[in-house]
Amino acid sequence: MPVRLAEEWFAICGGCEVTILDIGEPLLDVLEKVTIVHMPVLMDHKLYGQTGEGTEMEIPEAEVGMISGGIRSEEHRKLAQEMRKKCKTLIALGSCACYGGIPALANLYTTEEILNKVFRESVTTETNGLPNVDIPALTDRVYAVSEVVKVDVSLPGCPTTPEMVAGALTALLEGKPFPLPSKSVCDDCPTIREKKAASTLKRRLEPPEFTPGQPLNQMRCLMEQGFLCLGPATRTGCGGSDGTPRCIRAYMPCEGCFGPLSEKANPMVDMMGALSTIGLDPKQISDRAATFNRFAGAGRLRPIPRR
Amino acid sequence: MEEQTLTAGAAAGASEQFEPLILAFCCYWCAYAGADLAGTSRVQYPTNARIIRVQCSGMVHPNLVIEALTKGADGVLMIGCHPGDCHYLEGNLRAKSRADAISLMLEDFALEPERFRLEWVSAAEGPRFGQVMTEMIEQIRKLGPSPYRNS
Repeated sequence: MPVRLAEEWFAICGGCEVTILDIGEPLLDVLEKVTIVHMPVLMDHKLYGQTGEGTEMEIPEAEVGMISGGIRSEEHRKLAQEMRKKCKTLIALGSCACYGGIPALANLYTTEEILNKVFRESVTTETNGLPNVDIPALTDRVYAVSEVVKVDVSLPGCPTTPEMVAGALTALLEGKPFPLPSKSVCDDCPTIREKKAASTLKRRLEPPEFTPGQPLNQMRCLMEQGFLCLGPATRTGCGGSDGTPRCIRAYMPCEGCFGPLSEKANPMVDMMGALSTIGLDPKQISDRAATFNRFAGAGRLRPIPRR
Repeated sequence: MEEQTLTAGAAAGASEQFEPLILAFCCYWCAYAGADLAGTSRVQYPTNARIIRVQCSGMVHPNLVIEALTKGADGVLMIGCHPGDCHYLEGNLRAKSRADAISLMLEDFALEPERFRLEWVSAAEGPRFGQVMTEMIEQIRKLGPSPYRNS
């Protein structure tokens, strides 16, 4: 009997769902063993019966559940709990589900401030006050899925990698665990490090120095070249079997999408340490909290107290 | 052992008059020797600081300072050799740039900038060590307990 798969999406762009499709040919092997029973992005399965006749929210039972996106409204919270109830194993798909992701940058402001900014004070948008018909209430902040229900497997990344999705699904089908690497992006980065910055911090628009055609291990570390790279405080694994981190492969500094190294890590402190250790001036970074917690806002970012 | 002493100090402070709890990271070659000299010369200063010997002020990672401040310490001192005197040549310069980063971050953690201080004390400056300690402890006493103390 094929394994049943249910998928829900919350506060997310949909990129991680595209990643599932991006698995390519190995997807055909996975799909043979899987039946999708619920997936709003793909199929027309309604929560209250196909014609709205149901009174209870219903997600069919499944062996594997996937949730992408953080929890921003009470509807998301309820759906996450329903998914947990109906699915034997729950996968958090992508950084939004794992750490809040980009939407969790909103945690820097109170919900009231956000609503005021968007619906009352925005000068470029004509609005008629707060929308209030048939809309679920917002939660007080953006939550990661694991903050609301227990998650069995986390697949970070913005978007997560096809290799990881396929790997996790295969591992689950075979009943094996799927642990994440615990090292940092720098541990997998092949560039040359001399532990001393060769320049002050540069704007991202400037090109890094490298010789085209030369392998990456001939290039100087991008951070030491003056480009803010979140590698030191970010979990590795984005490179997959190739090893080299995704952004570095494209001569770009790490954005930090795989999230912090551990549950308790504070990427801002780690990054400030890393920057000052090689002699870069952290004063040049205007928005430290948001820059260093870009993908890890759930539980880490909070409105800055006014003193 | 150390943890016990720390919490005992914090508990006593909460029940009676406020006694600040201060961590002082002292480098082995200058500041710690300075503390030693302060002791042998009978320099008097308040006893609120817990001295932690480190090999060089340049090895005090911002993580340690922020963790101390968010887990109950009311103030943190980082003391190293005078610029140019570092036993490891540039360790104290690294400490300086890390200290700048720490000071910036205090704001993000809603802590007063006075709760963290970087000082230079040489091995021959026993009285100065006592003076730095007294100043810092008095300053923290005026500021009051850290907002993180009981959380």
